Order: sequence, then structure tokens, then C-alpha cells
Amino acid sequence: MGDLAANLSLGFATALTLQNLGLCFLGCLVGTLIGVLPGVGPIATIAMLLPLTFKVDPTGALIMLAGIYYGAQYGGSTTAILVNIPGEATSVVTVLDGHEMAKQGRAGVALGIAAIGSFIAGTAATLVIAALGAPLTRLALLFGPAEYFSLMVLGLAFAVVLARGSVLKAVAMIVLGLLLSTVGTDLETGEERLTFGLADLSDGIDFAVLAMGVFGFAEVLRNLESPETRDVVRGKLGRLLPSLDDFKRCLWPIARGTGLGAALGILPGNGAVLGPFAAYTLEKRIAREPQRFGRGAIEGVAGPESANNAGAQTAFIPLLTLGIPPNAVMALMVGAMTIHGVIPGPQVMTKNPGLFWGMIASMWIGNLVLLIINLPLIGLWVRLLKVPYRLMFPAILLFCCIGIYSINNNPADVLLTAFFGFSGYLLYKFGFEPAPLLLGFVLGRLLEEKLRQALVLSRGSFAAFVERPLSAALLAVALVTLVVAVLPAVRKSREEAFQE
Amino acid sequence: MQGEEAGASRVRAPQDVAAGLFLVAIAALGLWQGAELSAGSLGQVGPGMLPRALAALTGLCGAVLVMQAFASPGARLARWPLRGPLFILGAAVAFGLTVRPLGLAVAGPLVVLIGAMASRETRWIEAVVFAAVMTALCVGLFKFALGLPIPVAPWAIGY
Repeated sequence: MGDLAANLSLGFATALTLQNLGLCFLGCLVGTLIGVLPGVGPIATIAMLLPLTFKVDPTGALIMLAGIYYGAQYGGSTTAILVNIPGEATSVVTVLDGHEMAKQGRAGVALGIAAIGSFIAGTAATLVIAALGAPLTRLALLFGPAEYFSLMVLGLAFAVVLARGSVLKAVAMIVLGLLLSTVGTDLETGEERLTFGLADLSDGIDFAVLAMGVFGFAEVLRNLESPETRDVVRGKLGRLLPSLDDFKRCLWPIARGTGLGAALGILPGNGAVLGPFAAYTLEKRIAREPQRFGRGAIEGVAGPESANNAGAQTAFIPLLTLGIPPNAVMALMVGAMTIHGVIPGPQVMTKNPGLFWGMIASMWIGNLVLLIINLPLIGLWVRLLKVPYRLMFPAILLFCCIGIYSINNNPADVLLTAFFGFSGYLLYKFGFEPAPLLLGFVLGRLLEEKLRQALVLSRGSFAAFVERPLSAALLAVALVTLVVAVLPAVRKSREEAFQE
Repeated sequence: MQGEEAGASRVRAPQDVAAGLFLVAIAALGLWQGAELSAGSLGQVGPGMLPRALAALTGLCGAVLVMQAFASPGARLARWPLRGPLFILGAAVAFGLTVRPLGLAVAGPLVVLIGAMASRETRWIEAVVFAAVMTALCVGLFKFALGLPIPVAPWAIGY
């Protein structure tokens, strides 16, 4: 416990310098600003804003990026409540009751409880990270290549279960993502692989380029196709602070959402996405009057929003302790860290404690900043949301182009992003989901590296993966997960869960 | 996944057929590009093993998708309007081609204006004004406030 206190105080000392505080504030502000735009989720937002952090030192840059991330998350919830469009996958359930509340003139309260729930969840999640960081880092030292490989396989298995629609299509997307990750120079032999002779591909495909194409551009294309159905709340926002009665109703949903979200967020394979769904389903199941849900029940906003934020934060745990990004946002964080010369993994905490604990402390500060800046700024977001899409999408497009160009100062990246935008559009037309593709891509390189290392160590025998107990256990869980996903009964309930 | 009408040879899920063929095409592309890489052995995996195995798996997924499409019903292929992809991606391509030689002062308005053609609701006077304002804003923000090394108008002001 003494350790924890010492570490946290080091973290706060780092995060509370004037510069870092300012960066955290700025990150939250611009993150929310871009994240509020409909159809721009956290992934596109971070990819777009990555160049903003280039001039800052690594610690400051990561603090700012984390701020951008929380801002984008919260911006997505704002859009979900004020407009009937979820900004991103994790705020899909917030739309149900949040927008209903807004229609009843309680938009302010919905946004308020979302911010307060997120803050409480963020505080708890920060403590979880601080408490689990050190022991998990020690655990990571026990991980050999075989264990790393099996853990990533488990992550991919989770991603299959979490994807919507056909299991086969989700598997296909993961395999395709893995295949894309092999493009570029081979790490061991230096041979160029699948580059079509293009020099711009010899370093591999940049994750930001792929993500921006598949999530940024393709999203604009999809939005343009469906006719404008934005239903921005008119009239009064109402009071912002929830009443005492609202608080009483939300206390337990927030606590349950936080627990669920935090636990799911740690899972590799983008478990954080599941948090809000799970929290909503749970609240509806145990509610005394379940018929209120979908008609503006405040618990239906408080629970999922808390789960959302808790998961968004505990998703940092696999990244910071094992160096494995559990989802696409964390993969962008890896990219950002690498640009600043920090290689994520267990060594960060020992070699660079100021950065590690500073970032954790800034997570809590970021949540506080969001609470402070968003409540007064909601009016501004409402006005921004009323900008017609015919003006919004060219602006989004321009930001995307400048962002992608600035990451490597390479015009070819913009062309490549356009190519992936088209590919993402095709995938959407074919009924594929892009999320598993990105996760496959994210884990691909590390997966291949560890697989090859493990096979060298075992002299070409796959038995190593089952003989080592930890690795065998991880693979067994992965197998069970996959089998369960294909079982007809579970598939049915999974479809129902996504329907809700 | 067996269909209730065994032996039906009609395509019952056109979207899945297209999706499967798409995967098979990518797999073929991967196998062709990776053909010259050595696969090595399991004890010493070469650069070609994973790309080839993954390409084969992609193709397999595609083949199964196509076969399933004959067995069980599924979604139709959606409409394919070309206007959006053409102008949105065209705008990005125009940006990529012009930003180095001509700078943001040209590339910026190009993106906004070409992009604007993607929507039927665009009003042209508004779009032109908006393009100018957005470009000025981006130059101020990215070039001057953030100091990113993005060219503004090398032909006029030298940077």
C-alpha cells in the first residue's frame, strides 16, 4: 500500500506541473470537439490529432493523448444523447435512454449524469490500474514467447465473439488483418514481403493510415449514403445537475457499471466494447420497472456510461503491463509512444516511472477536467451539432488529410488512406465489420514475432504451446470461447444482445 | 449451416457470394506476391510462411462463405452509388498529389470543394466561402500555432 501511495504521489507530481496540466486540458478539449462530430469516433479522432503532440516531450504527449482519448469518448456520448446517432460503438446503448431523456427536456441531466458517472468510474479505474500495474508487470516477466502468443490468440478469439453478425465473417476479418500486418520488411531476414514493389510499403502499413481509411473515410461514405436523419434536440437542455432523487437512482447503476466495465476492459480483444451492453442489460434485468428502459430511464444512461469509461481506462492495463494493445485505440497509443521513443511493455514502469505514473494520474485529472469543461460547454456542442453535414464532412475530410500527412510528412500516406477508405467501404458493402480486422492487424506483427521465437525455442514443435501450463490454459480459454461462439443457443442470445 | 432445401443450387445470399469472392481474390493476390518468399521450416520459420498460411486461410474463409451462400439465405447486395466514393476519395487523392508541390493553400480548398461534390445538398457559394475559411483556419492552426512542417504555398511565399 505504501508503494501505491508513493507511486501515485510521484504520478501526481508529474501530472500536476503547469505544462502537463495544460496539455491534459487541451487534449480533453480538442478531443471532445472532434469527438462530438457525428461519425467521428475515438479512433479517427486520435489518428487525426496525433500530430498535435509531436512537439511535446513524451510524458506530456502521452498525457495529452490520453486526454484526447477521454475527450473523444465523452464527445461520442454527447452526440449519442443530443442527436440520435451514436458517435461510436460504445455509446450505442446510451442513445436508447439518453436521447429519450433529451426529447423529454432532460438532455442536461442526461449529460450531467453521464459526466458524473464517467468521473466516478474513471476514479475507480485509475485506482484499479495503479493497484494492478505493479503486480501484473511482475507477472509479465513470467511470460515467454509461447505465453504471449497464446494470450494474443485469446484476444483474437474474444474479438470473434464480440463482433456482430456472422462468426465466419469475423474470423475472415481477423485473418485478413493478420495478413495485412505481414506486409513490409521481414524483421528477421530483411526481405520485403507483399509490398508490390512499392517503396512506401516497405516499412509496412501504418496503423493510423489503415484505421483512418477504414474508420474515418469509410464512415463519411456511409453517412453520405444514408439520408440525413440527425435529430438534434431542440428547445431547452434543462438543468444540468441531476436532482437528489436522480442521484439515488443512479448510485448503484454507476457502481455496477464501473465494476463490469473495469473487469471487461482488462480483457484482451476489445472487451471494453462489451461493457456498456452488459451494463444496460444488467440494469434492465434487475430493474423494478423494466418497462421504463427505452423511455428515458436515467439508470440506462448512468450504468452504460460508467461502464464505458471504466473499460476505456482499464484497457490501458494490457498495454502498459504486457505491451499488448487490446483494441484499436490502444494500438494508436502504441504508435504514438513509439514515435516518442517509448516502447510499451513491462519495462516502461521500471525505466520510466515518471511517465508511467504521470500518465495514470493524468487519467484521473483528465476525468475531472472533462467534468468541469463539459458541463458549461454543452451549449457550444449543441450549436456545433446543428452544423449541417454538407459542411461538416468536407471539414472532417480536410482534418483527416492534414492529420495523416503530418504523421510522417508523406503524401503517399494520404493516397494509401484513400485506398483503405475504399476497401473499408467495400467491406461494409459486403457485410464485414472492420473492428476485428483492425485488431488482427494490431496484434499481427507481435503475434508472428512471438510465434517464430517460440518455435525456434521448441525446435519447431507446437507442443510447447500446450506443455507450458499458462500457455495451455490461455489456449484452452480461447478454444472454449470460440466453441461457445459457434454454439447455436449462444449465437441466438448473442444476436438478441446486440439487437437490444 | 445446412439449408432446409438440400440441393438448391440458386444463390441465396448474394452479399456473401460477393464477399467470399472478394476474400478469394485477396488471397490470390497475397499468394502471388508471396510466392518467392521462402517458407522455411517449423524450426526456423522463414519470411514466407505466415503470409502464405494467412493468405490460404483468407481464401478458405472466402470459399466457405461462397458455399454457404448456396445453402442458407442471407442479405442481398446493397445499392452501389458511385458519387460518394468517387469524390470523397478523389478529394483525398487530390490532397496527396498537391500538398507537396503546391501546399495547403491549394490542397485545402481542393479537398473541401471536390469533397463537397459528393453531396447533393451542397450549395456552391457557401462551399467556396467555407473552403477559404477552413483553409485559413488550418494554416493558422497547423502551420503557425503547432509548427508542423506542412507546406503552405511554396510557389508564392517560399514555404
